[in-house]
Amino acid sequence: MRRVYLDHSATTPVDRRVLEAMLPFLTEKFGNASSVHFFGQEARAAVDRARRDVAALIGARAGEIVFLSGGTEANNLAVRGIAELAAPSGRHIIASAIEHPSTRGVCEALEKRGWEITWLPVYEEGLVRVEDVRAALRPHTVLITVMLANNEIGTIQPVAEIGALVREERERGRRHLFLHTDAVQALGRMPVDVEVLGCDLLSMSAHKLNGPKGVGALYVRRGVHLAPQNIGGHQERQRRAGTEAVPLIVGFGAAAALARQELNERMQHLARLRDRFEAGLTARIEEVVFNGSRASRLPHLSNISFRYIEGEGLLINLDMQGVAVSTGSACSSGSLEASPVIRALGRSDELARGSIRFSFGKETTDDEIDYVLEILPRTVENLRRLSPLYLEATGRRAGERDGTVLAR
Amino acid sequence: MSYSETFKDHLAHPRNAGELPEATVIAEQTNPVCGDRLRLSLRIHDDRIEEARFLAYGCPPTLVCGSVLTEMIQGMTREEAGRITRQKIIDTLGGLPTRKQHAAALAIETLHAALEDK
Repeated sequence: MRRVYLDHSATTPVDRRVLEAMLPFLTEKFGNASSVHFFGQEARAAVDRARRDVAALIGARAGEIVFLSGGTEANNLAVRGIAELAAPSGRHIIASAIEHPSTRGVCEALEKRGWEITWLPVYEEGLVRVEDVRAALRPHTVLITVMLANNEIGTIQPVAEIGALVREERERGRRHLFLHTDAVQALGRMPVDVEVLGCDLLSMSAHKLNGPKGVGALYVRRGVHLAPQNIGGHQERQRRAGTEAVPLIVGFGAAAALARQELNERMQHLARLRDRFEAGLTARIEEVVFNGSRASRLPHLSNISFRYIEGEGLLINLDMQGVAVSTGSACSSGSLEASPVIRALGRSDELARGSIRFSFGKETTDDEIDYVLEILPRTVENLRRLSPLYLEATGRRAGERDGTVLAR
Repeated sequence: MSYSETFKDHLAHPRNAGELPEATVIAEQTNPVCGDRLRLSLRIHDDRIEEARFLAYGCPPTLVCGSVLTEMIQGMTREEAGRITRQKIIDTLGGLPTRKQHAAALAIETLHAALEDK
């Protein structure tokens, strides 16, 4: 059966060139990067090279990169790391309502311990407004955390403007206010520069940019201090203990170098495919709703709600026809509530449940888009004909006795 | 997705989906927790369920339970149909994870609502 992978926001395939870069470090170059001897130094040099490549991707200095296990750990280190040290100056954090569950989880845990969290609304467009950040600032605010681009709807937040606001506050004498941005979804899909953004901390993950799973990094601006969360070792300048995952770090470096070189090409490819997909979809399927600003979003992602049907049903039917996507429906995630991100846009429960995220990659082809456009309309129509909501809304008779849901 | 072959078959080819023009009773129930909805249309004659059709909105187990249920009850008397349990539906499907079993509960509730009518 033909398989089409349209879930690049969840994870991406490892690029062949990345795999080749990693292999020696899984075979003959196995040294511990902290060992003094030749084997160690060889590994150390590879880690340093990767560090420079990752730093270059975001316009940072090599020494500002802390390697760790992924985006979730980076978000944990950023928020907890600042919270622990800054607590004497204040215990208020400003976060967007659509942060990744890892950031959200850490903030909620702090809330239980007496911290105050202000959740910034994102309105129908899925974008925070800088005026809301300004209005939420208090003397005891120590951290603002707003993701650069959201993983479900792809909307790009005004982080640079928030960075400018933080700079203004510092010029006015405020000393303990930091800006963190989760760039996990954005990296490799838009230009990212820490000087432009004005952020103090930035989270990254390798497996979202054709690198291996199990490695990521936190950018920590020179001069910013954090309380390390993994302790008992000197690695990463004592910011994150544990033997360096050399092969994974090398993979991350290789992926970062490729992402930087190929950024423009990839962005153009992605936008073209995505726009073709959306145009083709709206021409063939009625009663669909786009989630999140279509003007200010990453080029690779389309989040669409299909009225009258539920997301997991559509997802599984697509899966049975070889197409892989993801959904905001609760059934699929195991929680009782539909996607909080889609709900934060003001969408009804029903539209949130009927949402599907299609996310494209550099490997996605026009042919694959054609295939999906061929099967999707019939799959949606078949599910609608099964739905009492559709019947109610359209008064249409769902006549067939043995309705076949798979497109023929 | 670890659904059984039977489950996937019902999902790909739902039995008795649609409406019944000469239905003698129609019942529709909603699960308040997640919003799943099932609609059953039956034609009952001489106490026997001659024909049954369903419409469903919700996660795959909801659709599949509707399909399985209508297949089961066709030809049954009201009393026989009334004795079908949640577990019977779940077993026919090849099992369901605990958190999805509400779909079978909804099917039974909708069936009882239909049988109690008239």
